[in-house]
Amino acid sequence: MSDKQNNPNSGIRCPISQVGFARHSSLLTRHDYFWFVVLAATLFAASVAHADSARKPTLEAIGNEVQCTCGCNAPLNQCPMLNCAEKAEMRAFITKEIADGKDETTILQDVSIRFGVQALSSPPAKGFTLAVWILPGVGLLVGLGMVVVLVRRWRSKPDIVPVPSFASRDPKVLTAVEEEMKSTGMK
Amino acid sequence: MNQVGSVGLIASLAFAAYALVAGAVGGKLRSPRITRSAERAAWGFFLMITLAVVALEYMILTNDFHNAYVAEHSNRDLLTYYKVAALWAGQEGSLLFWTWLLSIYSALVVWQNRRKNRQLMPYVVSVLMGVGTFFSLLVFFVANPFQELSLISSAGTRAFSAPDGSGLNPLLQYHSMVIHPPMLYLGYVGMVVPFAFAMAALITRQLGDNWIRTTRRWTMVPWMLLGCGILLGGNWAYAVLGWGGYWGWDPVENASLLPWLSGTAFLHSVMIQEKRGMLKIWNVSLVILTFFLSIFGTFLTRSGIVSSVHAFAQSNIGPFFAVFLAIILFFSVTLLFLRLDHLKSENKLDSMVSRESGFLFNNWILLALVFAVFWGTLFPVISKAVENTTVTVGAPFFNKVAIPMGLLLLLLTGAGPLLAWRKTSFQSLKRNFTLPIVVALVAGAVMFAEGVRDLYAWMTLFLSVFVIVCIVGEFWKGARTRMRTAKENLALALYNLTMRNTRRYGGYIVHIGIVLLFIGFAGQAFKTDAKGLMQEGDLLTVKNYMLRCDGLVSGDNPNYEYTRALITVTRNDQAFTSMHPEKRFYKASQQPTSYVAIHPTLSEDVYVLLAGLDPDTGKAIIQVFINPLVMWVWIGGVVTLLGTLLALVPSRVEREMAEMRQAQELAVQAGDGY
Repeated sequence: MSDKQNNPNSGIRCPISQVGFARHSSLLTRHDYFWFVVLAATLFAASVAHADSARKPTLEAIGNEVQCTCGCNAPLNQCPMLNCAEKAEMRAFITKEIADGKDETTILQDVSIRFGVQALSSPPAKGFTLAVWILPGVGLLVGLGMVVVLVRRWRSKPDIVPVPSFASRDPKVLTAVEEEMKSTGMK
Repeated sequence: MNQVGSVGLIASLAFAAYALVAGAVGGKLRSPRITRSAERAAWGFFLMITLAVVALEYMILTNDFHNAYVAEHSNRDLLTYYKVAALWAGQEGSLLFWTWLLSIYSALVVWQNRRKNRQLMPYVVSVLMGVGTFFSLLVFFVANPFQELSLISSAGTRAFSAPDGSGLNPLLQYHSMVIHPPMLYLGYVGMVVPFAFAMAALITRQLGDNWIRTTRRWTMVPWMLLGCGILLGGNWAYAVLGWGGYWGWDPVENASLLPWLSGTAFLHSVMIQEKRGMLKIWNVSLVILTFFLSIFGTFLTRSGIVSSVHAFAQSNIGPFFAVFLAIILFFSVTLLFLRLDHLKSENKLDSMVSRESGFLFNNWILLALVFAVFWGTLFPVISKAVENTTVTVGAPFFNKVAIPMGLLLLLLTGAGPLLAWRKTSFQSLKRNFTLPIVVALVAGAVMFAEGVRDLYAWMTLFLSVFVIVCIVGEFWKGARTRMRTAKENLALALYNLTMRNTRRYGGYIVHIGIVLLFIGFAGQAFKTDAKGLMQEGDLLTVKNYMLRCDGLVSGDNPNYEYTRALITVTRNDQAFTSMHPEKRFYKASQQPTSYVAIHPTLSEDVYVLLAGLDPDTGKAIIQVFINPLVMWVWIGGVVTLLGTLLALVPSRVEREMAEMRQAQELAVQAGDGY
């Protein structure tokens, strides 16, 4: 780390290490990137967990988390079959569970024991099925991290002479384009 | 007519196979004569497949029940426009329809490029006809719609004509289902064209600006059509399936969303290549991925590997598609690796806070969403294979994973266009984002005070206000400059501003459409419903609406029998509307279905379903949903469509540049003997 970067009087100080950084012309520092990734991960985890936060169970809410086992491939609340026996049985079971004072997580566990794990609209977050929950988030964060790394790598490359564009070969066209851009406020 | 159709199929297969080989040979030998021959064969492919389609439609419209497909998917009393739609109602007919659309696209590509891209065209034709060969083989040998009905008896087998057909699936007898599959297929099939150009560019090493310019337009059209198809499907699900929603994260729905998402990523990242000569490998990869996902979506819908209410009946074509997908992947990835040296970036990235970085983040989030949806859709199959356990991955999973990513994308929709190319200064950030953030915070506070407590809904509406202010600001800044410099009034300034840079401002309108879609989605958090048994005079209350049953009527027509509930709706004790949901029983197919009554308004829809009759009391089972903001989903779709159409219109500068490029290419061709 350079002396310039390690200047405690720069005004930018890492809240953990108390190391100070000079403000670079690129605006963001390594610690900015780090906190950005932490913030992004926290927000993502919080938003996924948001839907799982404790709430009083209702038949309606649990019916959206459970699949009807009659073969309709629809959540319990959306089963289109009239007088569906499986739907009636599952609703009666859930109603009893709610009356017994159980919370949503326990009720869903009992549903999976009674009717099979395929009766849950979302697979449980354990064992192999944990992979379905983890991988999308990991993919997002790893990818965002890779973007950050790639940007830094590109920025450290020497300047490359840009390939001249087709338009620049004809001075008349170039002049016309310049005037056009000025009149539209693009330049 | 069965024989006519079969001849059409065989001939189209021959033309496609010839064009596949001739195109490759013509390109390798740089022979204009062989290339033209391949292009003429592509026209022949189009004509012969058209003959097959006309033959099948003729049999459907004339009730020729010698044909097994016609007997299975049509009947005498079916309305004419549903008979036309029967072409794509079943597996065999829809594959023929897919092939026909491919032939149309191929003919259009050949015609449009008759005087340009001559070095690419041999391989473009070869790739297009390679796909055409596969589908022609599939239609003729595996899923042939020209099979005759036959009667097997002790006397032997003889041709047989059914007195009437089984009719169209009642779920498909709805107006948006008539156009939903064509739109969807136009989207899926259209993605072949940018793939063909990308492969041709890789083969010929012509990896400059030209192929990317051609590919961008040819991606935007199917992207737009695929988006329309997806929304029309949602409209159908909303109006017909009777559960009060329009998107259930069904595997077939997901399969259509995947290429649309990767196509969106490509349409954004291609701008970086055009402006800065960067991300070339990335863009080629996205084109390959989008085409792969289009074919994969077709495979998923037809193979039966996942259960879906939208899927065709399980068939044996899955393995053929799996092999085709493997060939596509192997061929395209190998070619990409062989050409890596020709795809080096011409510039470097200067700053993390730049439009380039914004597009990179946008791309990555879109691809993360593609992966999440792909993974969740296929996980039941993977779990079965690995653990021999059947699991369900339904809407709750996709909502939990996709909504946060969607909100990040919404943020970038507003922030991205305000970032400068190469580097954005702090002063520029402050100048561009202060007003949108302040207005959004005020709006957020107002929403919170009005009772919006659902976190996702609040964030969606907050970000929507932020994005709209950003976009309106862009229009205002440009128009204000024109009003000052060109002395135009606001309306004229906005018009001229937009028409001089249709890509940019058409893109802003597309973004507004996307924001409106998100606003519509947010309404799902405030849905309410009620259910009750009703007979004449009974009342049902939900929110500030009162429903009164005025009785049930029954009747029939040649197509179906029906029971209709007469419902009068009052809102806040004022007369509001009358609604007539029905339960129908289709005679030909012997299937029941519901006809939902919907009264849409800008703020909320009243959605009434006659679920059936209670067997004990004979009373009508009425279910009512109050669905806030659904109308904005459809409005958002229309705005997105209009913005895309505008972005496709060449601006004056683009037209002049295109004419100059064409003149130069003609000069080069004259030297090459084309």
